[in-house]
Amino acid sequence: MSLELKHVSHIYQEGSAKESYALRDICLNVNEGEFLGIAGHTGSGKSTLIQHFNGLLKPTSGEVIVDGVNINGKEAKKELKVLRMQVGIVFQYPEYQLFEETVERDIAFGPRNLNLSDIEIQHRVTEAMDMLKLSKKMRKKSPFELSGGQKRKIAIAGVLAMKPKYLILDEPTAGLDPKGREEFLELIADLHQQGLTVVMVSHSMDDIARYAQRMIVLEHGEIRLEGTPQAVFAQSELLDQIGLGVPTLTRLLIELQKQGWDVRTDLFHPTDVSQEILRALSKREQRKGADLC
Amino acid sequence: MLGDITIGQYYPGDSVLHKLDPRTKILAILVYMVSLFIVNNFYGLLGMMAISILVVAVSKVPVKYFFRGLKMIIFIVLLTVALQMFMTPGDVVWQWSFLKITKEGIKQAVFMGTRLVLLISITSILTLTTTPIALTDGIERLLKPFQRFGVPAHELAMMMSIALRFIPTLVEETDKIMKAQAARGASFDTGNLIEKVKALVPLLVPLFLSAFQRADELAIAMEARCYHGGTNRTRLKALQYTGKDLAAGILCICMVAAAIISRTVS
Ligand SMILES: Nc1ncnc2c1ncn2[C@@H]1O[C@H](COP(=O)(O)OP(=O)(O)OP(=O)(O)O)[C@@H](O)[C@H]1O
Ligand SMILES: [Mg+2]
Repeated sequence: MSLELKHVSHIYQEGSAKESYALRDICLNVNEGEFLGIAGHTGSGKSTLIQHFNGLLKPTSGEVIVDGVNINGKEAKKELKVLRMQVGIVFQYPEYQLFEETVERDIAFGPRNLNLSDIEIQHRVTEAMDMLKLSKKMRKKSPFELSGGQKRKIAIAGVLAMKPKYLILDEPTAGLDPKGREEFLELIADLHQQGLTVVMVSHSMDDIARYAQRMIVLEHGEIRLEGTPQAVFAQSELLDQIGLGVPTLTRLLIELQKQGWDVRTDLFHPTDVSQEILRALSKREQRKGADLC
Repeated sequence: MLGDITIGQYYPGDSVLHKLDPRTKILAILVYMVSLFIVNNFYGLLGMMAISILVVAVSKVPVKYFFRGLKMIIFIVLLTVALQMFMTPGDVVWQWSFLKITKEGIKQAVFMGTRLVLLISITSILTLTTTPIALTDGIERLLKPFQRFGVPAHELAMMMSIALRFIPTLVEETDKIMKAQAARGASFDTGNLIEKVKALVPLLVPLFLSAFQRADELAIAMEARCYHGGTNRTRLKALQYTGKDLAAGILCICMVAAAIISRTVS
């Protein structure tokens, strides 16, 4: 079971002066249980790409296949709602979609659209709020009196309450402070641990490096690079060219290497990098010791 | 989802129409509208249609793009046509229980329908070939003589230009919110009327909130740049009539004359 894009192209406003390819011949597989990162410059087509996964946008050409069903095909028409339940998308700045009087009711909006029983809905709301570590006190509050970060959590809870199999996040950490950002990413990593398939869009190579198992890099609507973060970040020159660069810690290792230190440059986890630097340091010490003798 | 709304949008180009003074274009459209209602027979209507087609051709706006803008008003046109057809008294040609179509009704329907379509076509050509700034400048200048009678020319023009400026923004915003709610299982096009109206709540609440917020931000931004109404304001590009405008004016006069003649002849 997987999400599959087959030769998907998308043109916005076909036939007008502004016509342009937002996506060009994209082939991509998202396997169940994985954590896929999507990186790319502003305007490279990331948001366009993810909106194809639940049929919000229709490809100009190509096919989108969710768990074996072509979602723009005839047989999928009636089931679009069910499909949308499977693939939960959290948009860029999701806090702007809140509208209900209370937090509880806003989170319940998705489940209510699925025609679930009241008990089940309540159960799901509680579950989703627990997952995002939102306190019980918040249930009866108006979503509009919360902080930006809290609003975003509510919006994500609203998507999780639909129990999607695939969770797709568009720039989930944009505009959050460093602490909120950290908390958020940990939370998403947690959800992934619990078995959710996660696709995360981000400009931040640091974020993708830390959490994604596999990543793709988009440029002008085409996939330029694909593979494990390690493999992708090894191509630092190409990434620089695209204008994305590599994670901060990888950059540090590259700088060290330029200055003559013997270090690997395909690492990005803080623990790995610090160990690598310590290793290089002790090696140099040893060599100094040997020279002195 | 909503990519088709092109009301009031400018289509960049360099046709003669693009280069005309906005005042000329606004006045010409008023003249066209008047002529459209002076005309009272089919030949005249055909002539008006021909003028309209000619104008679209001269504007060099792609026909596909032009018709996309018209798609939105089909409903209004159909409603008008239906009302005219069933409501006009006269010789009955077809009847089914309380519904009846009359000869006069058909004639009226064809006339009103065509007039409406032509009217909207020609006004959309105005906005397609005129930047919002030029358009509001033109309106402001045309309204200036009426300032003496208390018409707030500058304010009206400013409001209009802001409204035009924000149509695409609001469309984009609506599209975004619709998608976000659709991702949560909302559907905007199923169910009966009450359900449909109810389904609008998740769309309208966020939309209004963001519109008010935008209005607030815009007001602050304008104030920060020392905007204080129309007094003593000068323009970067002053409006200037050229030979083209004179030619357009003469053509307009010919059009009205032809319309009047076609009415008296019939
Ligand atoms: N509704 C739309 N109508 C027309 N063009 C659009 C629309 N949405 C996006 N585009 C264009 O498609 C291209 C890809 O946009 P997209 O939003 O997918 O980029 P992105 O990678 O998500 O960028 P960002 O990082 O800024 O969110 C851009 O060139 C953009 O101008
Ligand atoms: Mg985006």
